[in-house]
Amino acid sequence: MSHAADDSAQPPLFGPGSQFHELFDDPRWAFAMVRATVLEAAHPQIGAALIDNSTFVIHPWRRLRNTYLSLQRMFGADDQVRAKEAARLNRLHTRLKGRDASNRPYDAMDPGVRAWVVATLFESAVTMCRLSGRPLSPSAVERLYGEFRAYHAAFGDETGQLPLTLAEFWVYYDRMVEEELENTEAMRIILYKLFDHLPAPPLLNGLPTLWALGRAVVGPALGAITVAALPESFRRRAGLPELLGAGALMQGAYLTVDLARFLPEGWLRPQNIADLLALSPTSDDPRARTVTALHERMRRAGALLRLITPMSFRPAPEAPSPGQRSAEEFFRDVLDQTGDGYLTWPDLAAMARELCGRLDLDEPAETRLYDAFADWWRELQTALDTDGDGRVSAEEYAAAAPSLAGPALIRTAEVLFDAADKDGDQRIDEAEYRALFRTAFHRDTTGEATDGTTVYTRGAFVRDFLSFMSGRRLSTPYDPLLAES
Amino acid sequence: MVSRSADEGSGSLPEGFGKGPVPRHVACVMDGNGRWAARRSLPRTAGHLAAETTVIDVIETARSAGVEWLSLYAFSTENWRRPDDEVAFLMQLIRRAVRKHAPLLQARGIRCRFLGVTHPRIPPALAQDFADLTTLTGRNSGMTLTIAFDHGGRRDIVAAAQSLIRDGVPPEAVTEEIFAAHLPFPDTPDVDLVIRTSGEQRISNFMLWQVAYAEWVFPSVLWPDFRASHFLDCLHTYQQRRRRFGGLPPEQNGEPQP
Repeated sequence: MSHAADDSAQPPLFGPGSQFHELFDDPRWAFAMVRATVLEAAHPQIGAALIDNSTFVIHPWRRLRNTYLSLQRMFGADDQVRAKEAARLNRLHTRLKGRDASNRPYDAMDPGVRAWVVATLFESAVTMCRLSGRPLSPSAVERLYGEFRAYHAAFGDETGQLPLTLAEFWVYYDRMVEEELENTEAMRIILYKLFDHLPAPPLLNGLPTLWALGRAVVGPALGAITVAALPESFRRRAGLPELLGAGALMQGAYLTVDLARFLPEGWLRPQNIADLLALSPTSDDPRARTVTALHERMRRAGALLRLITPMSFRPAPEAPSPGQRSAEEFFRDVLDQTGDGYLTWPDLAAMARELCGRLDLDEPAETRLYDAFADWWRELQTALDTDGDGRVSAEEYAAAAPSLAGPALIRTAEVLFDAADKDGDQRIDEAEYRALFRTAFHRDTTGEATDGTTVYTRGAFVRDFLSFMSGRRLSTPYDPLLAES
Repeated sequence: MVSRSADEGSGSLPEGFGKGPVPRHVACVMDGNGRWAARRSLPRTAGHLAAETTVIDVIETARSAGVEWLSLYAFSTENWRRPDDEVAFLMQLIRRAVRKHAPLLQARGIRCRFLGVTHPRIPPALAQDFADLTTLTGRNSGMTLTIAFDHGGRRDIVAAAQSLIRDGVPPEAVTEEIFAAHLPFPDTPDVDLVIRTSGEQRISNFMLWQVAYAEWVFPSVLWPDFRASHFLDCLHTYQQRRRRFGGLPPEQNGEPQP
């Protein structure tokens, strides 16, 4: 990358002209990414890390967007951006270690684990082309492998983990599939729970009936497509079902999605789709307004449909009372980020991770924010974990919720303010606010209009954060950030 | 609508109608269903059944007469004390009526909403229908129809007081306008005319804040017998009255709420 691009014999490893760049905007990635994630989750160490730390069951859309952005940075032309992203991912992964249910240790920084993640991405890219009937040429596969090796090298791991040549890679890959992969809980959750319970993307939040209807059809199909695309030997070993027609469905799906290449250029950009799925209806993005208007019409159509259908229609779940939410709702929507029904450190770490990502924090600000969240966790644990099992259940939380705003939470608010206040002028201006919440100032954001500009003072910021985090107020800018998918 | 009425005959508007302004906000206390049934030796429920026709007739007449706001007192917080059978029947009847007439109300451009509706005894399915009708018609710009269901005027006033305190409004800042802004549906203007059928002359805890300056008429006809012609008679009576709002200038219609 550092050399001049005039040498056509040496195509660049990253950015425009690379093999990966050609594939990057391909809609088939949707399937390939899911498949790669399943293969990752089948690795015992990664599976354990996902079970403990990942928020993808509860917040899949946020996670999808973050993954997409990360890949874009890692495979972009800019070496500095790549180095920064690699450092960020390294810091993030350093924090992911522990022991699984059967007390085996896991560590997201383990070189073997990291090599396997790269391997699944590479192999899924190759397979996605094969399955849709347009396999990459052998030389293109070679080039792609070189690029993924460079991607792996960008993390600074020793190079021995990923085999040097493509031929050796396939041996390594087959051995991993044959010997290392297991039918892990994380894999089962992705295959059978995530698709069946996939939460609606934030934009479609108000349409539970419609979403449930579509999901009932698409969810099982997605699961079947993913299973059918997994290596045969692994399907056999993990005891995954061979559904009649699943193979044909899978190939049909890959083929159909591949047809999207005949759409006029720019019609289907994964970037736009990923953005749209993670977009909150309260955002000031013009697309959000369009969708909100559409949403409103669909809501009315849904109301009419319910009114004119025979009376037996089941009532939709009750809308939350405006302005406030119950302790249970707050626990489920905000605090329990990993969706396991308990509040533990990984839940708060996931919040810190999301905030660090949004604010694009570097060391040492990132560590300060994590430390503040860790202190808050200890405070919560001390105050709420009444049965002493090391975690806080929804009942324990609900019993003590009103007395939640302790000194560590206040400190967390202050650290977050410092991190968000990039220029250190003790107020959050328009740009800093947008970085954190991805939307413009809301009218109700107690802005003190000195010299006509709207600003957000430290006091107001801390107050709003506390009232959100102690579960007292709904519809704050933090909702799209931490509560919605 | 007018031509349908039996006792008025030839479809002419009552004499003098149209000479004064039509009241902007009319409210009806729908009284006399039970007595109507008793006079015919029918169960009370038959009276409620017969009331549905009147409701539709009144909505249609009010709309074509140019009334902008119509409020109907369907069920009070006190009505829960009635026998369980009757309450259950009423819930079922209202649910049927809402579903049956929803497309018509939407086609007529009527905006519907429900005042009250907080009691846990309200069946969830009914509450869902109320919410659906509100959603469906929420953007209509024709007449606004407010159905007071499980409504109590005092409770609304208490709710406003609670809301004021919750918002931390200092006592000296509380004016009538600010207080009114904390009532449920603060955009509702003052009621100009209340019609209470069956000759009863009570307020019965109905929209207490909003009826402060209302004119009242008490036609002796029972609600199931009340028809378009009676409604127009009431509007006519209203137009004959000189409204004073406690002062001297004979204005018509209440001031719009800010």
